[in-house]
Amino acid sequence: MTKTFDLTRWRHATGAAVTAVALALAAPAFAQDLYGPIPDDPNMGGTLNMGLLVEPPGLDPFHQAADARIQMTVLMYQGLFYEGADGEAMPLLAESYEVSDDGLTYTFKLREGVTFHDGSEMTAEDVAYSYDYIRDPENGSPGAGDFEIISNIEVVDDYTVRFTLSAPNASLPMTLGNKYGAVIPAGYFDDENAQNRMNSQSVGTGPFQLVEFNPNSNLMMERFDGYWEGNAPYLDAINFSFLPNSASMLVALRNDRIDLVNLSRPQDVQQIEGIEGIEIERFPSLNQKAIDLGAEQEALSDVRVRQAISLATDKQELMEAAIGGYGEVIGTMTKAMEERWGVPIDELPMQGVDVEQARALLEEAGYGDGLELTLTTINGYDWMDPAAVTLKEQLGEIGIDLDIQRVDLGVWIDNFRSRNMGLTFNDWASQPDPNLLFYRHFHQQPEGADFRNWNNEEASALLDEGRAATDYDERRAIYADFQMELAETVPTIMLFSADHVVVHDADVENYVQHPTGWLYGLVRTYLDDAE
Amino acid sequence: MLAYLVKRLGASLLTALLATFLVFVFVRMVPGDVVAQMMGQAGSDRAEEALRAFFGLDQPVWMQYFAWLGDVLRGDFGVSWTRGMPVTEMVGEAFLVTLELGLLTLALATIVGVPLGIIAGIYEGRALDTTIQAFNILGLAAPVFWVGLMILVGVSATFSWSPPLRFQGPTEDLSENLAMLLLPILSLGFLQAAAYSQFVRQSVVSAMHEDYVRTAIAKGMPTRTVFFKHILRNVAIPIVTFMGLILIQILGGVVIIESLFALPGLGRLLLSAIETRDYPIVQGALLVVVVVAMVVNLVVDLVYHLLDPRLRIS
Amino acid sequence: MSDTVIRTRYGTGLSARIRREPGLWLGLAVMALLLLICLFPGLFATASPFEIDTAAALQGPSAQHWFGTDDVGRDTYSRVIHGARVTLSICAGSLLISALVGGALGMVSGFFGGLVDQVLGRLVDVMLSFPPIVLGIIITGVLGPELQNLILALSVVYMPVFFRIARAGSMAQANLSYVEAARSVGLRESTILRRHLVRNVAPLLMTQYMILFPLILQIQAALGFLGLGVQPPTPDWGALLEQGKDYILFAPWMSVFPGLAVLLTAFALILVGRALQGRIDSR
Repeated sequence: MTKTFDLTRWRHATGAAVTAVALALAAPAFAQDLYGPIPDDPNMGGTLNMGLLVEPPGLDPFHQAADARIQMTVLMYQGLFYEGADGEAMPLLAESYEVSDDGLTYTFKLREGVTFHDGSEMTAEDVAYSYDYIRDPENGSPGAGDFEIISNIEVVDDYTVRFTLSAPNASLPMTLGNKYGAVIPAGYFDDENAQNRMNSQSVGTGPFQLVEFNPNSNLMMERFDGYWEGNAPYLDAINFSFLPNSASMLVALRNDRIDLVNLSRPQDVQQIEGIEGIEIERFPSLNQKAIDLGAEQEALSDVRVRQAISLATDKQELMEAAIGGYGEVIGTMTKAMEERWGVPIDELPMQGVDVEQARALLEEAGYGDGLELTLTTINGYDWMDPAAVTLKEQLGEIGIDLDIQRVDLGVWIDNFRSRNMGLTFNDWASQPDPNLLFYRHFHQQPEGADFRNWNNEEASALLDEGRAATDYDERRAIYADFQMELAETVPTIMLFSADHVVVHDADVENYVQHPTGWLYGLVRTYLDDAE
Repeated sequence: MLAYLVKRLGASLLTALLATFLVFVFVRMVPGDVVAQMMGQAGSDRAEEALRAFFGLDQPVWMQYFAWLGDVLRGDFGVSWTRGMPVTEMVGEAFLVTLELGLLTLALATIVGVPLGIIAGIYEGRALDTTIQAFNILGLAAPVFWVGLMILVGVSATFSWSPPLRFQGPTEDLSENLAMLLLPILSLGFLQAAAYSQFVRQSVVSAMHEDYVRTAIAKGMPTRTVFFKHILRNVAIPIVTFMGLILIQILGGVVIIESLFALPGLGRLLLSAIETRDYPIVQGALLVVVVVAMVVNLVVDLVYHLLDPRLRIS
Repeated sequence: MSDTVIRTRYGTGLSARIRREPGLWLGLAVMALLLLICLFPGLFATASPFEIDTAAALQGPSAQHWFGTDDVGRDTYSRVIHGARVTLSICAGSLLISALVGGALGMVSGFFGGLVDQVLGRLVDVMLSFPPIVLGIIITGVLGPELQNLILALSVVYMPVFFRIARAGSMAQANLSYVEAARSVGLRESTILRRHLVRNVAPLLMTQYMILFPLILQIQAALGFLGLGVQPPTPDWGALLEQGKDYILFAPWMSVFPGLAVLLTAFALILVGRALQGRIDSR
């Protein structure tokens, strides 16, 4: 039985969790509850078994960038804001905030009565300490770059803290979310062992706390009784099992060893469809699969070659091959953000398959006799293999001969970060905010990282404007212009967003998958058969 | 005897030291270290430098090695770079899993393989021998991960059962522990039984061809008596020697089987540590692998010396 | 002596030889077939191993697709057929490198002894202290899954075995009288090494080559299965198995047939290797 995703699941906000925001932001497309829809009368108790294919390398929100880490630590640690599924930041540990007229000073009123897992109470001092720690690059946090815009943090009183920025930045609240860092007790990192201790003991304010984390085996979390929000969470404990391959995962799901799985390869659904007592749900994602075109390579430095590749790429066919159609083709914006921020794909240039024009462009660029390129794929990213052979066929149509090279993630990241990526598949996601999505990746150096050596002045100017603007309509227009430029000069070809396909036991109720892929939904999940 | 032991131990130690050095340098030669992985697609250059200094990765390789070696000689194997747990704890726990799996597999391989080998050897050239040999060669030819996969899926389809996922030690919960190990032991055990049986058969065959055995048979001594009186004694030594060989083979095969059956053993730890570039774990896990192989070899040699009177005199 | 007895009993024709050593001949027959497949895969394949047809993805075995199709609709049978050349040439080539390098070093080490022997011997001990598959995993895992790294790993794995055999063989030869004689008539050592040692040690290495071939095949497949082997879209048996394991519940044919190909090939190689070993032993 397949249930498709429907918007009615995203109920309008009614819960106590959503409190007043002092500054009126643009009206969101549809409001929602924190973490997921709040059930009327949830069963309390029980242990949920969840299967995961990728194990977090560590549980330190300050020093680990891996998505596998983020998806779990959001249950144990909290930032000032929550990344609303529709792209709006919702107050979490902050209760409300005010922005000065010049957009440079943010004053946050903090939630009162919040306790850390160690029993101490959260105050403004803890908040200041936590964000001061992460923004200091000497502390080695991958998130440091995101927090560079903060020039000062000041404790006003026990429940008020003031952030001063070096330049206006409309996405500050989203940056103060849960991707990097979190609010932890002041002075936590003074102990030199603190970094390591996070793998055996959680120190956040989140609804769950860490029980055990066994390498290559499992991670157990239990309900944090001192959690500040109503009667949540409803589960007593969650046991995450780390499985080495989808074969073992599907076998375990079949035999009731696992209650809940977010399939990493949506097409795996075919292997479990029709099994009694298992339900399948699809949710849109913020994830995007893309082809990146690094202009440091001679052929790719010619915009006509990049345009030709874009015109020859059949996104639909690639998606069919890569994830069996369990997703949606995108233009320049991930699926979950498209409605709020995107430009419809049929209004974008260089889309669709046009072999004639692609050939003409290649000819013009001097590659009429053909061109050899190397496409890099990453070991362990299953979708890339079938997509690579499909792209090879598609580009073969216009005389481009693709040599497919699969490399290890570590090697790939090294190439990427040293701006030497060439032609490669990429698989990434960000918080649901256009500034956080685009700025670092596409702004010229040194302000941005410009991984693809795009070096586009006009686009960079738009990114600066978009970051400073605070009005939704204004921001939307700026980012639309940016996306037109992105599609026209092709530093990247965003292909499709794979749906989150969640498979669970019929007993598992009210799990809604957040578009980031992070496991927020577990805070609202309960078990039918819990005693 | 003692002099021999000291000499062997000394040589082994030197080899282990060299092995760790080579691995140490080798893993650091390639791009993409733990810091790059922690940073992902984010991060600033300054943060990256800070973190690299934190791990000591900014030092020259030889200095890193001697620092590591110095710590190891003091009994400090360091801390995992991704998990922060002591290497001794992580590697130790993983090793116990692998050891249990290895020993139980060895037990199965011995129980199945030795009798089969003896029977095949005694009935050399007859149909029974041919059948057993066919099993042996099939066992040697079958890729272990493939057999494991087929067993996992086959058992799931037939009995609607699959192993539990959270590993528990034999002292924590014996039945869960065995339930988790059952399929891996079966997959690996039968394949190694084939190898064992093949070895044993060969020694039985050559024992059967000894003149005094032939004479005894010619004189009409019952097969059973011949077997217990003459053959078993001759075959006992190779059986013990092979046990060591098989154990080392099993420990190699375990690496693959653990990855298939989600067992938190040494092989899977090593693989994941290589993937995440967690060098202290790679180093520690390999040291254990090397030392175990050496100890097994040494023990086999010692037993060999003890069992064989001729060698004992010399 | 026993040889003559058997000869009089069964005669010397081909059928008699087959009856005498059925295993060897069965193995040789399979190997001959594999060789044909490797040389002329086009004769056996029914479709292109690369052509994708997403509409025909994940179909079970049928008259059109004997071994079914994979996740992008390629014909599994044709991929297994074309995979034979990829897989077996990688194995054969890597093992040849180990035999040549390991054999040469072993002969030099055994013949000259001294410091060279000490150093090489120590290095070989180090390599032997890792289980072969672990050595393969370290090399390909650290260097990354590229073809040249795979070949490097597979060549290194059994190099020590060849080294030891060549060393033992040439040490035994070095003390024999004809080498002494050659030395006394003033032949240069390199000439002796070339003329006599190679001729006598080569058969040992060739037998070992056959014995190790099935083992290297399994390691190659295992590395492929772990994602450390040959990369897609190249049809390699290990890579096919890696690809297939994710579909094991839904499309088991993607795993069953490449696995059987490895099994059957290893089976034939072991049969032949054993027969060769038997001949060397009885000599």
